[in-house]
Amino acid sequence: MLEAFDLMVFYENMIALNNVSLTCKEGSIVGIFGSNSAGKSTLMYTLSGIILDIKKKEEMKGGERITVFGRINFDGKDVTHLKPHERAKIGIVLCPERRRIFPESSVMENLKIGSYLTSGHETKKNLEYVLDLFPRLKDHLHRQGGFLSGGEQQMLAIGRALMANPKILLLDEPLLGLSPAYQEIVIRGTEEIRRSKGISIIITEQYARPVIPIIDFGYILENGSSVLSGTREELMDNPDVKSAYFGV
Amino acid sequence: MEILVYGIINSVILSMVALGFTLVYSISRLPNFAHGALYVTAGFTTWLFLNRIGHMPYPVAIILSIFITGAMGALIYRFILIRIRGMEISEIISTYAIGLALLEGLRWGGLRGMTFTLPPFIEGSFQIFGVNVDYQRLIIVCCGVVVFLFLYFFTHFTKIGLALRGIAQDERAAMMLGIDSDMTAIISLAIGSGLAGFAAILLLPLGNIIVEAGYNVLIFAIAVCVIGGLGSWGGTIAASFIIGFAQILTEAFLSTHYQMVVALLAIIVTLLIKPSGIFGKQKELEERV
Repeated sequence: MLEAFDLMVFYENMIALNNVSLTCKEGSIVGIFGSNSAGKSTLMYTLSGIILDIKKKEEMKGGERITVFGRINFDGKDVTHLKPHERAKIGIVLCPERRRIFPESSVMENLKIGSYLTSGHETKKNLEYVLDLFPRLKDHLHRQGGFLSGGEQQMLAIGRALMANPKILLLDEPLLGLSPAYQEIVIRGTEEIRRSKGISIIITEQYARPVIPIIDFGYILENGSSVLSGTREELMDNPDVKSAYFGV
Repeated sequence: MEILVYGIINSVILSMVALGFTLVYSISRLPNFAHGALYVTAGFTTWLFLNRIGHMPYPVAIILSIFITGAMGALIYRFILIRIRGMEISEIISTYAIGLALLEGLRWGGLRGMTFTLPPFIEGSFQIFGVNVDYQRLIIVCCGVVVFLFLYFFTHFTKIGLALRGIAQDERAAMMLGIDSDMTAIISLAIGSGLAGFAAILLLPLGNIIVEAGYNVLIFAIAVCVIGGLGSWGGTIAASFIIGFAQILTEAFLSTHYQMVVALLAIIVTLLIKPSGIFGKQKELEERV
């Protein structure tokens, strides 16, 4: 479904992604693990096209020179040069790191802004689905997004991304700074999204343990390169992975 | 009493003038320095439609002019600003240059002297709390309130309005949801310029259509925005009331030509005491970090 070939991203002369190729099959959950600065967020920005916007803004400001190589296919079509909003239209939706909800809008408005691409009946259905998935949001529908706790904000961010009717959902560090209880809710929710809607999901995380039970396939990033990949079982059995990402 | 009534009227006038500028800045972070020029252009096209081209009825001329200024705003973005967006200095220079070209072009084209006036919507005046107020000023206040309400409902209950607010709060997060930031910038410039045109048609019947009004309007709009906090709607309204009343007070106790001094002084004082403006909370936080 989503295939990326030989992605390379440079910030000036620093290499952020080095020949990363990845595949996400329809209806599967792919995990991407790596420490800080391994290139997880850059990979997500590249897949969602945000990197093109960052590149353009930097060029305008005369700031950092960003170079992107590689090819991205989605549903058999080449999407490498599509802008972020065009990618969202065909179904690639990113739920960004640190949530980035709209702080001055209420929860309901956040979800409504998320439904920009859908209309009428579909919006209503999606809204019901999101509120069923994360019932906790129902209690705060009219509260400003900025006043929610981190876990609630994360639920809202995922819900908002779902309102855009994605075919593939990119979750960038959804567990960042969450308590174990909320981590559980988010992980359960992620699994539920795949099960009930058949949406493919790519999820990145520093620490593999909470995520590994739900993934079908995983990649390990180190310094911008994909050093290891395999199915869930293969990753779990690998001694290096165990010591580095499971804390065993 | 006179101070109160005219203070309110003057404040509403100021906020009408500044609203379009704030709207564009808050949504697309573009300083539209052609605001004043679009204001005068709207007045001039209305005058043309009334007296030269077609002798249209007043309402038709008004709607057509607002539409034309809105379209001009959209075209300015589509053909000029889109190439330089992100380079702040160039944004300011180019919009200001467009404004200059428009205004001086109008002057060159014959917009001089006292012959260019728009008639008030309804002649005559009435008494309120013992103060004489003409109907045009009453209409301005009413239209101001209607515009505020309209914008509130537009940005809270329509899909495009919500998308605009999304882009205003976090451009990239909104892009990820499929909102096109060029599209929202075009819409915001169209609405902002349309508002400039609307303000012109409401306010110009109070005086003559003169090129200098374009510069004054721009200065007042910037004064209100700087004091209220750039891009803050509540701030814009609060600041228009502060400057509006300050102007009327100086007018009552000193003399009329202190109006501009008050506005400029207010900018300086704000920049010295609280550079982010009264309601510029977010930016203040960023500045501290």
